[in-house]
Formats: sequence, C-alpha cells, structure tokens
Amino acid sequence: MRSTLLKTFPRIYLAMGYNKTAALRLSLTNQHISPVRLNSTSANSAATIANIGNINQGTKYTTDFKNYAIDKNTGSVISYFHDIPLDLNVEKREANMIVEIPRWSNAKFEISTSLPGNPIVQDVKKGEVRFVKNLFPYHGYIHNYGAFPQTWEDPTTKNESINLYGDNDPLDVCEIGSNIISTGTVKRVKILGSIALIDDGELDWKVIVVDIEDPLAKEVFDIHHLFLKTPGLLESTRSWFRDYKLADGKPQNEFAFNGKYKNSQETIEIIQECNQSWKRLINGQVKGDKLPTTENVRCKGTPNFKSSFEDISLKSSSTESVVPSIVQKIYYIPTE
Amino acid sequence: MTYTTRQVGAAHTLEYKAYIEKDGKPVSPFHDIPLYANEEKTILNMIVEVPRWTNAKLEISKDLKLNPIIQDTKKGNLRFVRNSFPHHGYIHNYGAFPQTWEDPNHVHPETKAKGDNDPLDVCEIGERVATVGEVKQVKVLGVMALLDEGETDWKIIAIDVKDPFAAKLNDIEDVETHLPGLLRATNEWFRIYKIPDGKPENQFAFSGECKNKKYAEEVINECSEAWKELIAGKSVDSKGIDLTNTTLTSSPYYSDVAISEIPAANPLPAAPIDKSIDKWFFISGGAH
Repeated sequence: MRSTLLKTFPRIYLAMGYNKTAALRLSLTNQHISPVRLNSTSANSAATIANIGNINQGTKYTTDFKNYAIDKNTGSVISYFHDIPLDLNVEKREANMIVEIPRWSNAKFEISTSLPGNPIVQDVKKGEVRFVKNLFPYHGYIHNYGAFPQTWEDPTTKNESINLYGDNDPLDVCEIGSNIISTGTVKRVKILGSIALIDDGELDWKVIVVDIEDPLAKEVFDIHHLFLKTPGLLESTRSWFRDYKLADGKPQNEFAFNGKYKNSQETIEIIQECNQSWKRLINGQVKGDKLPTTENVRCKGTPNFKSSFEDISLKSSSTESVVPSIVQKIYYIPTE
Repeated sequence: MTYTTRQVGAAHTLEYKAYIEKDGKPVSPFHDIPLYANEEKTILNMIVEVPRWTNAKLEISKDLKLNPIIQDTKKGNLRFVRNSFPHHGYIHNYGAFPQTWEDPNHVHPETKAKGDNDPLDVCEIGERVATVGEVKQVKVLGVMALLDEGETDWKIIAIDVKDPFAAKLNDIEDVETHLPGLLRATNEWFRIYKIPDGKPENQFAFSGECKNKKYAEEVINECSEAWKELIAGKSVDSKGIDLTNTTLTSSPYYSDVAISEIPAANPLPAAPIDKSIDKWFFISGGAH
C-alpha cells in the first residue's frame, strides 16, 4: 500500500507488533493535522448530503452533456471531486459516495477530473461517447457505480506493495443495494471491502459498499458476509471487471493480490491513503503532468480555492435523448 | 402486411391493453395472425409479449375479445417477474406463436404432463430489444420442456431472421457455439425465476436438455393441430378461451363486428414501476 499511512508508519513497525488500530490512529492524527479537514459527525454529514443537488446540462448521450453538483441553498456549482466531503467515519465504516452510473445501464458516465467544477460527463473515445458492452449474462453495469469524493489514486507515486501507479482518478465504488440510484446522487454508504483491479497497467481499486439506508446494510458488516447474503455477487463482480473489455477486443484485466477481496478494515486504510493523496493534490504538493484541476469552492486555504465557479453559466433545461440501439447488443465470451 | 399495436391505457396499470392491428384493423394475436410467415414453413410469426430486460409479466389475454396483451395479475395485483441474480428481468424477448395451443386436455406422451392452456411460448434470442406487441419473423432452433407447476410448458428457442447471427444459427448446437452459455442460463432462469416469490424450483423434462430443431417443429405442429381443433369448435374443452377472430371466415367464431367493439387507441405514458421491482434476488446455488 502506498503513501501516507505506510510512509509514516512503515511496514517494519507493523512487523514489530504495532497493530492496525495503532496504524489507524496514527493516520487519523495525520488527517487531523493536515491543512484541509472537514467535520464528520453523522448528523452533520446527513445535512450536508441533503443540501447537495445536481443539474443536467446539454443532451444526454452526447459529448456536450454535463451533470454538475450544486449547492441547493445557493444554486451554485460545487465540485463533485473536491467540494463534496468524503466524511469518512472510521468507527461506523461509512463515507459519502457519488453515483456516476446507475445499475443496468451502459453509458460510461464519470466525474471529469479536467473540467472546471468537475461535472459528470460521458467518457469519450475517438470522438464517440462510450458505452460499456453487455457481457452475457450481465446487463450493463451490475452495481450502482461511482466514486468517493476527496480521494485520488496518485499516478505520480508507485504503490509500495503492488508496485503500480494509481490511475489518476477518484477511488471507484460499487454500491450493491436494491435500489437503482441515478447519476449525480450523493449517498451515505457502508464500506465492506475492495478488490485491486489492474486496468491498462494502472492500479484501480474497486470498493464494495452498500447504501446505509438499504435493508442489507443492517445485515452485512464486512466483505465475507456477502458470500452468504448475496451469493454469487463477489464472484460476478470479479469476472465482470476481469472481462468487461473483452468485447472491445482488449485482453482480460488482471488483479493484484490474486483477485482476493480486502476486508472492510483494510479498505478503510486504502480510502484513507487515497484521501491523503487527494489532500496533497488539493494543497498543490503534487508535481506532474496531466494532473486533475484543483479548482474548488469549499476547501478554504487551498491554492485554487475560489468563491464560485463564475464562468459556468447554468441553463435551465437539458434535452433528454435516446440510448443508441447498438447498446442492446450482447457479447458472449467464447468458452475454452 | 404490416402489424401495429393499438395501445389503450398506461403500461403497468390494470387498464393497459395492447391490441394488435393488421393494416390498421384489430386482429387477434392468438387466432388471426398466421403461424407461418412463408410457404416453406421455415419462417414463423412470433408475438412479443415481454421485451428483454423488463419485468412486467405481459401476456396475450385468453378471456378478452381479440386477445389483447395485458399485464397478468395475481390477487388483483399486477405481476412482475423478479430479478434473479445475475439476470435482469426476462433474459430473452419473450412471447408466443399465434395459432398454437398447449392443450390442457392432452397428456404429452414424453413429458407425461398436460398442456398449460396457453399459446406456445417462444424465447427470441436476437440482440435487439423488442417492443410489446411486435410481430417478429423468426426461425426455430430448439425447444426446452419446462414443467411449470405440473404442466408442460414448452419454451421454443428461436431467433429473429433479421438478426446478424440468424444465418449462422440453424439448429440448437449452433446456439452453444455462437452464444456460449445462453442455453444454460435459459435453463437456470426458468428453474429459479419463481423462487423469489416463495415457490419451489421448476423442473425440466428430459433432464433439462434442449431438444433440437426437428423436435421443436414437431411440438409446434402438435400445438398448431390442437389450436385448429379449438378454433373449429371441435376441442373437448375450450377452457373459456375467447375464440373471436376477424379473418377466419370458416371458423364458427368469426365475427365481422368484433372490430367495432374494440376500444379506440388511448395511449398514455407508462405508470412508474415500484422501486421494489429493481431488487436483485440472490439465490443460493442459483445461476452465476
């Protein structure tokens, strides 16, 4: 594992008998003394989420589509990446996530790391908006897929235990609850575990969570509970991420740790590291090419803090449009 | 020959009805649409009831005049099929062959079970998601014999003749070659789909084996013959099926006034589906 936690608390210390709780406490102290800190009481976080809305701009399924997070009180744009608090509660193992792609849909929506205000846009490849292929027996994405705000997989520093660079994006999240959650929704979620995908040679963690309001959240407290409560889901999640690019003529993806799932505690440490990486980013402490924009309106004291995204003028309407029918196609993986 | 639908009411309500029209005039999808779409009998007409990846259990009504497609109900509630992980809704374009009947008065010699009193079911495996009431031209590839609560419920496997795969698929073994895993998933889907409703797993005759095209054609032929007796008024028991039709002048149930008794088109936007229908059910030892 990379970055602050293990840099300040090398593995040799762990080997000397310091347990994970100690490591965790240390990292919390780091969080406490770092320049950006946000309150994280539950009541506070619920209120924060309730005040965040989102607005569509442009026509869906085109390159001009954007979905911005907005402050409901003022109607002004805030950044999904930087301004929505992660609000990680280590004891309750909860945090805020942003849903980019609703379950059973195909359009590859993601938080833009380069556009001011970090709207959710549809990924573009060779000028065409991207749709994930239906890989039999699945229909589109099999989770409500999204990201943790205020996290970043650092592409400038190699992860010490996996020997890979991060993918330069916020940490990815798979929400497994019963409801289909729409693009741009901010949800309080319970952290259950994670799997380390290696996507095009970059480290790309997928964190498994469940909406705290879902009935399942009362029954599962760690990754292994899912083997009983949602049989097949973790195996399917692994094979989905392994195979989803086969339909585009690419090879299978690989996993670090032999595709073994990390548990809830280990995952919290990964989230904390990515949160630390983000803090270095937002504080201007990371040097490199193609780094994300760090413009924000809520992280006071950071170099690119500003009072508002005044250049973004919101239009009142957005045009609905139809998903192209090619997205209905199903790809079958040849058997050996 | 163009088939269209005449929608009455909003989808996902008790009022919803989708009538089938031929050249703008209402026809019965059960009785008026010919089973075969060419003289060689290699292409068949299929009526789509449930588009792939949807949950509403829509079916050709047996009771209503001209047999519109309606949503099945149970104890007054609209029926939706549950999502059994890893599947989303129905995994095929699901529907029926016109002018066929699985005769409940007849015990099949091989499955040892009676027919389920419905038109013959079809699973269309092409890539395009169909629409409710669409009349597709398909070619037959095979058949599975589901035993649904003790009745024979044949599931014909077919593909839209316009599908890019259609030319490559000529019999059941081609399905496994070109669409690997589909037949196994189909088998699993029909076995488990009622488990979330608290019902036991369904069984298949022939140990779940999918029979080939030739066998399927024999099943279709039997169901076609059963329907011919039904529409001629010669069946032992027609089980209250509305046999009114607007094109079969030699049938005792032909009516030239039925068309005027069908409500005018009144398409309304679909009613929202309850969020509970989005739930995924995880079944131990199920399909994944």
